[in-house]
Amino acid sequence: MQFGPRVLVMFVAAVLLLKAAPGRSFGGAGYAQTTSGQSLAIIVNQSNPVENLSFTELRRIFLGERSHWPNGRRITLVIMPPGEPERDAILREVCRMNEKDYNNHFLHGLFTGEVFASPKTLSTPVGVRKFVFNVPGAIGYVRTADVDDSVKVLRIDGLLPSDKDYKVQMQARPAK
Amino acid sequence: MSEKPNDAADRAKSEAVPLTRVVSNLLSRNSYTLLLLLVFGVEVGVGIFVIRDLRTANVEAQRMYAGSVLGLRRIGELQYQAQETRRSTLYALTTNDSNLQVEYADQSREADRRVTDGVREYLEQARIPREVEIGQRLRLDWSAYLRVRDEVLASILEGSTREAVQLDLTGGVPSFERVRQDLEEVKRLYDEQASQRLAIVAGSSHRSVVRLIAVLGFTLLFASASIWAIQRSKMLSEVQLAKLQMDFVASVSHELRTPLAVICSAADNIADGVVEGKEQLTRYGVVIRNQTRQITELVNEILLFASTKEREVRYHLRPIKVQQIVESVIENTAELARSSGFVIEQRVDPDLPYVRGDLSALSQCLQNLIVNAVKYSGESRWIGVRATVDQAHGRNRKEVRISVQDRGIGIAAPELSQIFEPFYRSPAVSAAQIHGTGLGLPLAKNIAEAMGGTLSVESELGAGSVFTLHLPVTEEAQLQMAAAAPGLDQLQKS
Repeated sequence: MQFGPRVLVMFVAAVLLLKAAPGRSFGGAGYAQTTSGQSLAIIVNQSNPVENLSFTELRRIFLGERSHWPNGRRITLVIMPPGEPERDAILREVCRMNEKDYNNHFLHGLFTGEVFASPKTLSTPVGVRKFVFNVPGAIGYVRTADVDDSVKVLRIDGLLPSDKDYKVQMQARPAK
Repeated sequence: MSEKPNDAADRAKSEAVPLTRVVSNLLSRNSYTLLLLLVFGVEVGVGIFVIRDLRTANVEAQRMYAGSVLGLRRIGELQYQAQETRRSTLYALTTNDSNLQVEYADQSREADRRVTDGVREYLEQARIPREVEIGQRLRLDWSAYLRVRDEVLASILEGSTREAVQLDLTGGVPSFERVRQDLEEVKRLYDEQASQRLAIVAGSSHRSVVRLIAVLGFTLLFASASIWAIQRSKMLSEVQLAKLQMDFVASVSHELRTPLAVICSAADNIADGVVEGKEQLTRYGVVIRNQTRQITELVNEILLFASTKEREVRYHLRPIKVQQIVESVIENTAELARSSGFVIEQRVDPDLPYVRGDLSALSQCLQNLIVNAVKYSGESRWIGVRATVDQAHGRNRKEVRISVQDRGIGIAAPELSQIFEPFYRSPAVSAAQIHGTGLGLPLAKNIAEAMGGTLSVESELGAGSVFTLHLPVTEEAQLQMAAAAPGLDQLQKS
């Protein structure tokens, strides 16, 4: 049985895919935790009076289309850098955009005045959490495992990340 | 001898007097030891004072260090951390990198936590109202600053740099200035407390030094005075001894000269043939013999005193019946009393216990007392000898008391402590031309003490004297007596 160069290239690609699949090695953050079945918690400052957001409101916030909280505080959006699985999940599940569309959306929005401020980019979940802790109007996202008491987790459509049918998941949900 | 109505009171008095004498003798015999003990006690007392002062100074110094030096260090740390809180907040203004801004915010919060803890500790340790007041004000001002700091940090992280600067200028700067002033006031308070404690330490140290100097000065003075007193006492003793010896020599010379002159005169008369006939010769012989005996007795008395003083005499101690002692003495002095026209009235209680002693020595002791009574009784011509048994004063035992009483010239109170000194002659006695060696009473006293007893005296000038020989009644004597009975009485009588 003879193997040609195409077979060899396919074999190497398959090995690389297998190695990459269990963890989040693409983002370079080195988390060993698996992404399968994990929810993303939407976190805000503990002083924020909001407890629940509809999915639509959440989408508007993450698209920069809403500038203030009901208490008058300015909304500051915190995101992670491109390539991070959490960011990918948010773009996919909440914004329903890819990276390029998202960036274009903000560039266009800032230019036209539809978007009030560009998101703040923090490179680690801990950074995101600390930012939210320090800024009363901040909103961000981290994996549920990265949540602690310094921040408040919002309900989305009345559901917490631990609830069934919670919509902000790391992994794409299978189409119904 | 007749019983006086206030006999009990007299007896109590007679018991109290020997105690004071015992104490007096003890003090005089152990004066050097007592002096040393006194100096040692003073030194120890002074040492305790000085140690207490030094300890007070040490405690104050420790308090000063703990309360002020450590406090100042702590307040310095608080000042630094407060500055660090503000510095870190302002550093966040210098960058647009959100990650760095979060790091600075973290540093600021870490520093502010230390300041908050420090202020809480200060308030917990605050004792005086001023400390509490400053601590509470500092806590309020610090909380106010932190509220502004949080807003400034939030604005910086949101990217509103201008708003952050505005907030800091309007709220942060004045509130931090208040905190700085509060911390300065705390520091000033620590400085004041440190100064006060330093003054206390300095005062305590000064007091210690003064006391130490005073104590050393006192000790030096006391030691000098003691040495001077000892030297003076020695000198006086030597002078007194020399005087007594001279008096003794003079007295003995006089005592010897009189019989020697009589002997010499009698011998001259015999040699010159003035004495004629056997009868006259016999009379002169008797005179010479009597005078020779007198000289011999005098010399014996001197030798006996010397030997008892040096404890060379070996007494033969055995149980003796008191009646036997009294009878022996009365018999020995009967001739003297009769020739002097004296009446000796004796009263010996029946069933007196045995005493342990030397019969010859005790007889000598009592004989000296009776001879003295004869010498100093004046015109009364009465001597009382009494023997009783009673509880020894201050001791849990019984004692036999043999007293010799006269109604003679008596002894002045100041002289009572001197009459037992060897060779002592009262000026009044010397003036009255009553001859003696001054050894009779010291000899009696030595014998009494050698028998384990004492010799006491009560006297009133012009009314007479009572000399009492106290002899302990020992169980040993009773046991020996019981063992030797019944043939003991016959043996002693023999």
